[in-house]
Amino acid sequence: MTRRAGLIVSRVLAAVGAGYAFTASVVALVAVALPAIFGMARSEAVVLAAMLGFVIYLLALLWAAVEPRLWWVWAGLIGGAAVSWALSLAARLPVAG
Amino acid sequence: MVGLHTWAGVCVGTLLFVIFWMGSLSVFDREIDRWMMPATRLPAPSGPPSLDATVLPVAARLAGGASPWTIVLPSARVPAIELRYTDAQGEPVRRHIDPASGALLPEAGSLGASGFFFPFHFRLHLRFADIGYWLVGVAGMAMLVLLVSGVIVHRRIFSDFFTFRPRRALPRATLDVHNLSGVLALPFHFVITLSGLIIFFAIYFPSAYQMAYAGAAVAPRAAFDRDAFGTWQRPASGQPGQLASLDAMLATARDTWQGREAYFVRVWHPGDAAAYVELRRSVAEGIPMNVDRLVFDGASGRLLHRHKAQPVMAVQRFIAGLHFIQFRHGLLRALYFVAGLAGCVMIASGLLFWLAARRRRAGGVGMRLVDALTVGGTTGTILATLAFLIANRVLPGDGAARAALEMQVFFAVWVLGFCHAGLRPEGAWRVQSRAIGVAAAVAVVLNALTTGMHPLAAMAGGQWAVAGVDGVLLLTAALAWGVARRGGRQPASAASAVAGADHG
Repeated sequence: MTRRAGLIVSRVLAAVGAGYAFTASVVALVAVALPAIFGMARSEAVVLAAMLGFVIYLLALLWAAVEPRLWWVWAGLIGGAAVSWALSLAARLPVAG
Repeated sequence: MVGLHTWAGVCVGTLLFVIFWMGSLSVFDREIDRWMMPATRLPAPSGPPSLDATVLPVAARLAGGASPWTIVLPSARVPAIELRYTDAQGEPVRRHIDPASGALLPEAGSLGASGFFFPFHFRLHLRFADIGYWLVGVAGMAMLVLLVSGVIVHRRIFSDFFTFRPRRALPRATLDVHNLSGVLALPFHFVITLSGLIIFFAIYFPSAYQMAYAGAAVAPRAAFDRDAFGTWQRPASGQPGQLASLDAMLATARDTWQGREAYFVRVWHPGDAAAYVELRRSVAEGIPMNVDRLVFDGASGRLLHRHKAQPVMAVQRFIAGLHFIQFRHGLLRALYFVAGLAGCVMIASGLLFWLAARRRRAGGVGMRLVDALTVGGTTGTILATLAFLIANRVLPGDGAARAALEMQVFFAVWVLGFCHAGLRPEGAWRVQSRAIGVAAAVAVVLNALTTGMHPLAAMAGGQWAVAGVDGVLLLTAALAWGVARRGGRQPASAASAVAGADHG
């Protein structure tokens, strides 16, 4: 595989794979943060977060396609995923019933 | 952005075409069902039927103790009552009942459009590990990326709207078709793709409910469904019981919903003392696919539980309703069909432009592959669809075996289409266009021969669904035939010709 092809594969993996990991983590964070901060109903926060997920993923995919520094794409998406996943674990409320 | 648009398009173009094609057909799935299930071509129902008198005896006899069994009430688009249950072998069964007489209609022996084209549209008939949903999801996200990047690569989007040069060289004319269909229906394509993804938010982003409902007493998904959709259940008691009047429950539902009708009635644990009946409100009355639900005690007919969507869920159901178009609006439904086909034209012409622009250079293995995938995925898909309709009119036998055979005909013809395009790439689409022309006309003739309902008779009898399907088939035949002839004489107009063929 040429270096150019390798860079393209890396970028596609970052956009699709890391982009999804980032989006799913942000979605999880929004789903637990809205009830914790604003007292929104839990199921309502889940629906809102998941709907926003499609827009977040679209933006992540487009950013990953155009950002010139490939390492920054990987770092941004994986780092963002890790931070939001950790925050969502911390913000989780116990379920009643 | 140009590279992104090109490669995302080439990689998922064929899959997107199939999804758009099946989606366009699903807009009229109930009408195609009438064509494919002649026994259900009944006059429009005059009023709500009596379920206690007409349906209960049939349901008790057929479905017996199967839990649950479901009655879908007749509507303007579906004149027959539909009974759904799972048989002793665990296979889902759909039977139809005449609401006027209560007579059980003969088995359809077909999945129909609502059982084949519609699931094809969102899960490709690949059930294992939800892989079909995920492939469609990937294609949907790619479609959004394509639309955004497509707008960005167009510096002259306004003038593209008025530019069509069918007589110019092939790549130029193809690109004009691509731009024109893309720009014309751009808002529709964006909304239909995003709303389609949003329908399955819980499949594509399970992390939301998993995180929010972690540690719930029941599984996170079940806990979420209980809050969001109002699912309600209780176990069977093991004691025998009698079912109270379903008609009385329907009347209560009508009062509770300010005159709005129920859409289906589902009986859980029939024959058990703990039986309960779930009623869902009709989605034909407004844009939102409402999740209004009432649950009645089976024995006493007392209301046990009612649910209505909360605000965010109501927004999600509105978006879903925009996509499903289940509300009563014939003109809008026709526009959805046309705009969906415009999407097919946009996708096919985009693929053709990529191929035409490269044909003059050296064509490698990759190009041949895209060539075969494009022809098999576009004209081949249309041909397989028509073969499915023809099989519906000629196959012998009945029941689930016949329905399965019908599906196999679709997939066999589809595979043949790909093989043909791969082995004889020269003019393959023209041969397939000609075959489409013949097959569409044959389908109309076979419908007339086997059911006695030719298009004029269908119109005279008020069977507009049958007349409409026949009419579109005849239009397809004329278009495909004309296209194949013109394309044969004049290579320069081939692109617009193929695009025209997709209009069927």
